Amino acid sequence: MTNSTKPEPQHVAGSFRDPNGFMFRREGQLYRQVNRQYREHYERLMESGLYESLVNKGLLIPHKEVSLSLAVTGEAYKVLRPTQVPFISHPYEWSFSQLQDAALLTLRVQQRALEAGMVLKDASAYNVQFWEGRPVLIDTLSFETYREGEPWVAYRQFCQHFLAPLALMSYVDVRLSELLRVHLDGIPLDLTSRLLPARTRLNFALATHIHWHAKAQRRYAGEAIQAARPPRKMSRTAFLGLMDNLSGTVRKLKWQPQGTEWESYYEITNYSDAAFQAKRELVAAFLAQINPRPRLAWDLGANTGVFSRVAAEQGLLTISWDIDPAAVEKHYRALRAQGETRILPLLVDLTNPSPALGWAHTERASLLDRAPADVTLALALIHHLAISNNLPLPKLARFFRQTGRFLIIEFVPKRDSQVQKLLASREDIFPHYTQEDFERAFATAFTIRAGESIPETERTLYLMEAK
Amino acid sequence: MSRKNILEIILGVLVISFVFPPYTYAYLDPGTGSYIIQLLVAGLLGAAFVIKTQWNHIVQFFKGLFGKESDDQQHEA
Repeated sequence: MTNSTKPEPQHVAGSFRDPNGFMFRREGQLYRQVNRQYREHYERLMESGLYESLVNKGLLIPHKEVSLSLAVTGEAYKVLRPTQVPFISHPYEWSFSQLQDAALLTLRVQQRALEAGMVLKDASAYNVQFWEGRPVLIDTLSFETYREGEPWVAYRQFCQHFLAPLALMSYVDVRLSELLRVHLDGIPLDLTSRLLPARTRLNFALATHIHWHAKAQRRYAGEAIQAARPPRKMSRTAFLGLMDNLSGTVRKLKWQPQGTEWESYYEITNYSDAAFQAKRELVAAFLAQINPRPRLAWDLGANTGVFSRVAAEQGLLTISWDIDPAAVEKHYRALRAQGETRILPLLVDLTNPSPALGWAHTERASLLDRAPADVTLALALIHHLAISNNLPLPKLARFFRQTGRFLIIEFVPKRDSQVQKLLASREDIFPHYTQEDFERAFATAFTIRAGESIPETERTLYLMEAK
Repeated sequence: MSRKNILEIILGVLVISFVFPPYTYAYLDPGTGSYIIQLLVAGLLGAAFVIKTQWNHIVQFFKGLFGKESDDQQHEA
């Protein structure tokens, strides 16, 4: 079906495992090819009312069927144009509640699918994205016709992608979500079983879904399913029981954001209320000056997102990056409670940001692969990078040049009490950390459009435009 | 190998293929251990699920009897 007069399609790198179809782009527009072998399942999804009910509830990304002439290969049965999620995030960038909500979404979709005689054939956390403040399933080809008696084919994947990291974050340490960055198909259950405390063996759900599950994997490793003589069929009631149990188990896992370095950051800043308000107004004024009107902002070092909200109030979709799991968790919970849909809080360590991962380094895009934003906010951040992490100013300028076209950045001088705190425990080896050096370094990559002192502070806020 | 043994094997294969669910084509490897553990625990979880939903019905019935409105009615699947 390839039409040579049309612009060349580009395959989307992360979409190649499922032979039922794949994602591709033509002239920047995202499409999904559905192959003929998926026809029966696609028809059931659309005709059973399942698609409509999931889309109406905001659980599945909507799509439109478009001309088959857009297809890439001859196996095509349909070409779909899905609503494009404006920003793709990865599960290792999510806070505890984000991963928990994504897990519950997957189970909710599964339960509705069963009512329509379908089942999820995969349960990858990468099939979930945050769209307008809520998790949504983005893989339309995840459904297949349910056959009475069959167990859930994606059970292992669900446990590895969702249950294992959530249990580790809840019972051991929230930072263990970073294991998802190493294990792209979810955290291996034998590893999870070894890391979880012994008391989790007394929890029936975790004992079965993690510990016994890991044992069974080891016991039957390399054996074919038929040879292992499965004990019986799995009834529909048993299937529903399994889903209900997984859902209850996920819901019961808890993590309270506390005890991390940045958790009470705003309570310990050196800003007076008036200075804080002045800074807010200055950020708003700089954002309003940007021409053409920005649509996407990245707030780097956003903490719980006070300044992300300033951008969101001006209608910008704002990605709020922060290094601290507690800050991201608090921010997400607050946004969810308020129904704020224009901000997406995510975890990142800017000194070691999400790399390009997976097959041929192309499956999961790096932080900078997903840049540039229209505007980067770097507020009360530069001293942490330049002094705590020894990053030279010219390197910082080059980095921010890649994250966004415009930059709103706060310079925090050495005499500021926060910088003094950073220097209290170490020798001052930063003779070039001065306002003049800062301006000189950034002027190589940016044109400085404005610079204003923040009242009642030693700090200066700049608006810059990439050269 | 005797003819009886061969017949037993053929019969065994036929029984297994009729009694047990067909291992359908799936792009995801379900994993034999994951498959087995699921079958082992799901019966139990299914029974628990039935008891839970029935219990909810009983609770609803009595709440209804005493005129109390329920705000978290469970749907029976």
